[in-house]
Amino acid sequence: MLWITNIAWKMCRFGELNQNASQEVTLSMVVADPENQINQKKERKVDLVFTTELYNPEEGNKRLGKCSARVFFRNEKPRPAVNVTCAQLIEKKKRHEEDYQLYKRMKQLQNPVDVVSIPDNHGHIDPSLKPIWDLAFLGSSYVMWEKTTQFLHYYMAQLSRVKQWKTNDDAIDFGYTVLLHEFSTQEIIPCHIHLVWYPGKPLKVKYHCQEVQTPEEASGTEEGSAVAPTELSNF
Amino acid sequence: MKPLLGTFYILGMLVPGGLGYDRSLAQHRQEVVDETVSPRRSLETYSYNRYHPMEEVYQWMSQIREKYTEVVTQHFLGMTYESRPMYCLKISQPSDNPKKIIWMDCGIHAREWIAPAFCQWFVKEILQNYKDNSRIRRLLKNLDFYVLPVLNIDGYIYTWTTDRLWRKSRSSHNNGTCFGTDLNRNFNASWCSIGASHNCQELTFCGTGPVSEPETKAVSSFIESKKENIVCFLTMHSYGQLILLPYGYTTNKPSNHEELIQVGQKAANALKAKHGTNYRVGSSADILYATSGSSRDWAWDIGIPFSYTFELRDNGTYGFVLPEAQIQATCEEAMEAVLSVLDDVYEKYWHSNSAEKATSTAVVLSLLMSFMSLL
Repeated sequence: MLWITNIAWKMCRFGELNQNASQEVTLSMVVADPENQINQKKERKVDLVFTTELYNPEEGNKRLGKCSARVFFRNEKPRPAVNVTCAQLIEKKKRHEEDYQLYKRMKQLQNPVDVVSIPDNHGHIDPSLKPIWDLAFLGSSYVMWEKTTQFLHYYMAQLSRVKQWKTNDDAIDFGYTVLLHEFSTQEIIPCHIHLVWYPGKPLKVKYHCQEVQTPEEASGTEEGSAVAPTELSNF
Repeated sequence: MKPLLGTFYILGMLVPGGLGYDRSLAQHRQEVVDETVSPRRSLETYSYNRYHPMEEVYQWMSQIREKYTEVVTQHFLGMTYESRPMYCLKISQPSDNPKKIIWMDCGIHAREWIAPAFCQWFVKEILQNYKDNSRIRRLLKNLDFYVLPVLNIDGYIYTWTTDRLWRKSRSSHNNGTCFGTDLNRNFNASWCSIGASHNCQELTFCGTGPVSEPETKAVSSFIESKKENIVCFLTMHSYGQLILLPYGYTTNKPSNHEELIQVGQKAANALKAKHGTNYRVGSSADILYATSGSSRDWAWDIGIPFSYTFELRDNGTYGFVLPEAQIQATCEEAMEAVLSVLDDVYEKYWHSNSAEKATSTAVVLSLLMSFMSLL
């Protein structure tokens, strides 16, 4: 179940709550049993309810809003359709403030950032580097959503390299390599991601993942190709 | 006659792993000495809240054995692919009581660092508390613990030196072009039938045959030799926060499925009471995915009634790279779960208080009856 909540989590981070990169989603409750939700069209539907909380540890865990989501898988294809609605969100102004805080922290970081992996092998993330991880997670969420099917479930295992770090026209522009962990095959998939972000504007993501050559695993769908990079200028 | 038997007994202790192993002690002793060992720290300063490289785990095992010599012995199981010795610790309160065995192994998958950390935590908790904690004292009256802190030693070392997210062993295949078998797909339980791969490139590679790997052989042989007395088999993994019962290779249920669920759920409840963490309970094929050749399924199939896989914290936030700051809480809650299982196992095999009373009352009555009949 937790992988499904992860999808909605990713969508929240990337979709309706895309504008609010500073938010972190924690699952509070899952409703509906996914087993009963496979209809004739071979769609699999999952209903979720969860809360979204402030990511900033200094201010404690303040609840920012309550969300519900419906996730649709069709014909075992990736990129499930996700409808997310949130209620009781804190006011827009406050959300934008939070985003700007994240943006400021990113800009204040030394450039270029010389980091081998986040978290380090002992699970530690230096507080000053946490914004990098969070933003990387945002970009990775998009990639993971693009690849997720009923049978392939992804998690962000580790940020293995922050390659480039520059700010163009005030936007945050950085490239990194993320190691994704796919649960059913247990594989680690390196993905090179390049993202551009400015608070209030949609995230721009380009990526290229190294796929393991496994013919028997192919679900016969439009997965992220290992050969040609998949580009997306706007989500 | 007696002195002669005594001599044979001592000889049996000296031969690694008992009779049946022809590897000499000399070989692996030499290896341990030749390694560059970091300065020897005392057990008092050993931090159970940190992750430890293999050299420190080996050192720790020796120190535990030395300090708790009245209850701890170290047993040789076999050599890894890269010729490293596999040792488990046996914790046993000397007594005349017949004993049953609890087996726990950690780190069959190299990158799951929290698991070996838990095995060390578990040993520490038992040894630091067995004298004055009545719950643990009771368990040790009739139960012996065998703990294997790191099963996949070669892989574990590889995660420290080269690739933090390595999973498999380090055996060489296809003329040295491909490395590693998934040791938890290598046991003789519907080997490689489902949820595993014949392709060495993949992370669920089942090996060249059932029990093809030296690590699997070492554990299998040891457990086979003691299976009549093993009542509980626990294998620790991460991540996912799950308590898994057999089977992974079929959706059929083991004959004691209901009981396993009950015991598992009680353990999950005890775990949650500690820090609020949710663990789900169910058979592997139901709540995870299909797998074959797992140690847990094999253990149940050879007759060990309580066989569980624990997937420790977390749920994917940090995954395999769980922060050291979470070691303590993870281990504390898992300890509650394991103790809960052990309590249930104990209750099942040895008289609980009420059963004892009933038995002794019956004995008294029958004695009275026979006495009366004599009058």
